[in-house]
Amino acid sequence: MAINFESVNCNRQQHLSRRSLLKSTLVTTSGMVVANWGALFHSQTIAAQAKQTGKRCIMLYMEGGASQIDTFDMKPGRPTAGPFRPIKTNVNGIEICEYLPKMAQHADKLAIIRSMKTKSVDHGIGGYHMHTCYPSSERFPHAEIGAMIAKYCENSNNDLPSFIKMGSPGCTAGSGYLGPQYEPFTLDTDGKLPSFANPSVPQEVQDRRGELLKFMEDQHAKNHFARPFSSHREAELRTVRLMRARKTFDVANDWGKARERYGNSPFGRGCFTALKLVEAGVPFVEIGQDGYDSHNDNFPVHKANMGVLDPAWSSLLQDLQDRGLLQDTLVVWTSEFGRTPAINAQAGRDHFGRAWTIVLAGGGIKGGQHYGSSNRDGFEVEDKPVDEGSYFATIYKALGINPRAKHYLGVRPIWATPEGSKPIQELIG
Amino acid sequence: MSKYLNLAVTIFLPFFFLGTAIAQSEPLRNTIDQEIKGAWIKEKIAIPDRSTDSVFLRRVYLDLIGMIPNYGEVTAFLMDTDPKKREKLVDNLLADPRFARNQAQLWDLNLLGRNPQNIGTSRNREAFQKWLAIQFKNNEPYDRIVHKVLIASEEDSHLFYAQFNGSADDTTTTVMRVFLGTQLQCAKCHDHPFDIWTQRDFYGMTSFFVRTVVVEISGSNNDKKYVVGEKSTGDVNFTISSKDAKPGAKKGGDPVKPKFLGGADLIEPELPKNFLEPKLKPKEIPPKPIFSRREKIVEWITAKENPYLARAAVNRIWAQFMGRGFVHPVDDFNPNNQPNLAELLKKMEIGFINSKFDIKWLIREIVNSSAYQVTEISPVADALPKFYERARVRPLAVEELMASLHVATGLGVESALKSVPSKDMLKYLGEPTDGQGTFQGSLSEHLFFHNGDTLRSVCQPRKGNLAENLLTSTDTWNAKIDRMFLSALSRMPTDMERDRFLSYLNPKEKELVDKKLPSQRLEEALWVLFSCSEFRFNR
Repeated sequence: MAINFESVNCNRQQHLSRRSLLKSTLVTTSGMVVANWGALFHSQTIAAQAKQTGKRCIMLYMEGGASQIDTFDMKPGRPTAGPFRPIKTNVNGIEICEYLPKMAQHADKLAIIRSMKTKSVDHGIGGYHMHTCYPSSERFPHAEIGAMIAKYCENSNNDLPSFIKMGSPGCTAGSGYLGPQYEPFTLDTDGKLPSFANPSVPQEVQDRRGELLKFMEDQHAKNHFARPFSSHREAELRTVRLMRARKTFDVANDWGKARERYGNSPFGRGCFTALKLVEAGVPFVEIGQDGYDSHNDNFPVHKANMGVLDPAWSSLLQDLQDRGLLQDTLVVWTSEFGRTPAINAQAGRDHFGRAWTIVLAGGGIKGGQHYGSSNRDGFEVEDKPVDEGSYFATIYKALGINPRAKHYLGVRPIWATPEGSKPIQELIG
Repeated sequence: MSKYLNLAVTIFLPFFFLGTAIAQSEPLRNTIDQEIKGAWIKEKIAIPDRSTDSVFLRRVYLDLIGMIPNYGEVTAFLMDTDPKKREKLVDNLLADPRFARNQAQLWDLNLLGRNPQNIGTSRNREAFQKWLAIQFKNNEPYDRIVHKVLIASEEDSHLFYAQFNGSADDTTTTVMRVFLGTQLQCAKCHDHPFDIWTQRDFYGMTSFFVRTVVVEISGSNNDKKYVVGEKSTGDVNFTISSKDAKPGAKKGGDPVKPKFLGGADLIEPELPKNFLEPKLKPKEIPPKPIFSRREKIVEWITAKENPYLARAAVNRIWAQFMGRGFVHPVDDFNPNNQPNLAELLKKMEIGFINSKFDIKWLIREIVNSSAYQVTEISPVADALPKFYERARVRPLAVEELMASLHVATGLGVESALKSVPSKDMLKYLGEPTDGQGTFQGSLSEHLFFHNGDTLRSVCQPRKGNLAENLLTSTDTWNAKIDRMFLSALSRMPTDMERDRFLSYLNPKEKELVDKKLPSQRLEEALWVLFSCSEFRFNR
């Protein structure tokens, strides 16, 4: 079992996946904890393998609150409409904003929920609520959706982290009660690895000091059996594996070609990196696009943002489809809330939770449909209101996760979604 | 005044059993050991060994003063033949100014958490920590410290309330959880499912805090100053009669009378007729209220007869040193979470009250017990064994890690005391457990250590540091390796380790051709000692 810490270059024999490690563990240790890396693995890891669903999720998070009326729930001819015009899409009866022309060609993939009715309408609390499904006022260490999906959809053979974030963070709750092993791994805004993931010493040094470290860890593991030690060593091993798999994050070569389609923006590059990551088996990637909080000058702000969003999102859907990944990859377009139908004195729109829009596509979702509606001017939900719980339950259900999965913090139970949260069956394909 | 004090006493009557405690003649440490040993026998657990001197030394340094011992302290302690050297060391550490600082850091975290809402960071938090450190330095009785935090009249003592941004709900649940070890928040929306608390209890308690206001009097984002005051009016409105009481519904309900948890209503004087709450300008502190509800609840919380205060404190302080509280998690006493070793908890609680809430005494007794000093070597896998048959394993807090790196690399205690974890360190190492004390390794932590500058820079030879001293020293390689291990891990290397490091540091055939080699190798070897599990955790 020749594993060096930090050994980045390795041939196929040396490049042991977790599965092969597990196999050799089972053979060599026969239930005894012995001084090899087998001591890293306990039954939880094996259980984790059984529950992987093969599903993935990419969340496009419009930080600040995207305006529903200027995107997917337009009100032509009404006083709240604003200057943008709707255009036809590839689905009869679905019209979206003229500044999303590329997305208009993907409407058949989209389930547009126009009846979101949510409670937390400020940035901090809204970001928290729309990431964890619970209000921050409960002051409980809730887990972000990314951590939940990482826990239930991760492939433990994979060398990559299972919860990856880039761009503007809409929420910093992290893995909460699910624990640090599901903490987000945060990339730079454009999807590049943070600087500390780049080796600071030459390969030769990494290899030899890695060997000395392994020697020390082996010595220590001989008579220290407490779980934190094995958790520490396992994370160290995952780090070494990540260092090996670093190339996945390096999209520079392919980016040259993709850039034209995705748009030459950090968000576009982030979406392209996300494609590469889910292709490599990462179950959850969140990409934030910031700057939607248009209390002033709502229209130029949204026009500019859609100019970045449209090519990136549409290319992502197209590439996922072309690679046969779309059926297993749920792409979510969301915000902390929507924006007021009323246009304020600064030509802005303010925070609005009473009737706004979220768009789902891909994995497990029936596309080409509207779900619910807002009333004539968009001030209230007209039909089929969707609250936070049902929205999360729908995502979890689509990914094969039990929306009422129960966990404990100490003796207190906590569920993936609150009591009464029901997946919206019409949306699930 | 006395009328209300009497009231505070009478409402505890149903729980009144502690006052009859007899003075203990036996030192508490013996009681601890008898009870724990009794549990081992009962549970058929083999009596564990005592920790070695070097393991005990590192453990008690980290637990009492928040950093590892330096090379000189390690060698002196290991050479000391005095059979009472452990006890003496404990006394020295309890008298060390770093003890107060460490306690302050721990309580700052207990009270505010790592990332509190609503308050700026760094500098005002530093002031609060300094204020706390003064309390621990003076060994203020625990009930007095709680009183001071909750009355919040001393300069720099206000941060506890500032985090709640005026929310009486949040204030109440945090006060109850931290100081009384009970979880009230479930009762906000419905009668508590596994506890005795009802919504009436919840809103009765919030009514004590609803008039409390926090005024931001000066300062910029990171250096805000607050003052805590109280209005004479203001109520929590809630209706229990309504069939389907909505969570937190305050509109449309009736004012809820303040009610002591599990006890009587507060009797309060009527407001003068035609009383008008004075209108305050921004940054203006309200005048002293005509009648202070908050004073009443603080009296109640800190009353000697309060059945929850000492119990929660003893449980928390026990867990601070032993890993697991009698009740675990430490702040969740409820009928479905009965204490383990309940007899011992009761005895410690009585002892703590009789000592007049003397924190130092309690800590001295705990760390002098054989239970605290057990070995860390055992087949038990639990991080926090239920019967304390193996020492608990805890990761070093990020502050301890930083300070210990300074101590180990010979930068000195002064430098260690000044060390402040960087934003990155706080981010990657700030919260290494799942909130229940269970460590879980994270990728970012390792990446940061493998590739970041923090660790690298302390391993490189710099003026006067360990690496440079080792390079310029004329000692033998064996002696140098001993020194590295004693500095980093507070112990001598094993023969195997010495051999391995010797061949790493002194590869003879190459030495002749590359003059930089010893320095490079030394840096790498130190990196290994600081990256390994043994350094990351206490012992």
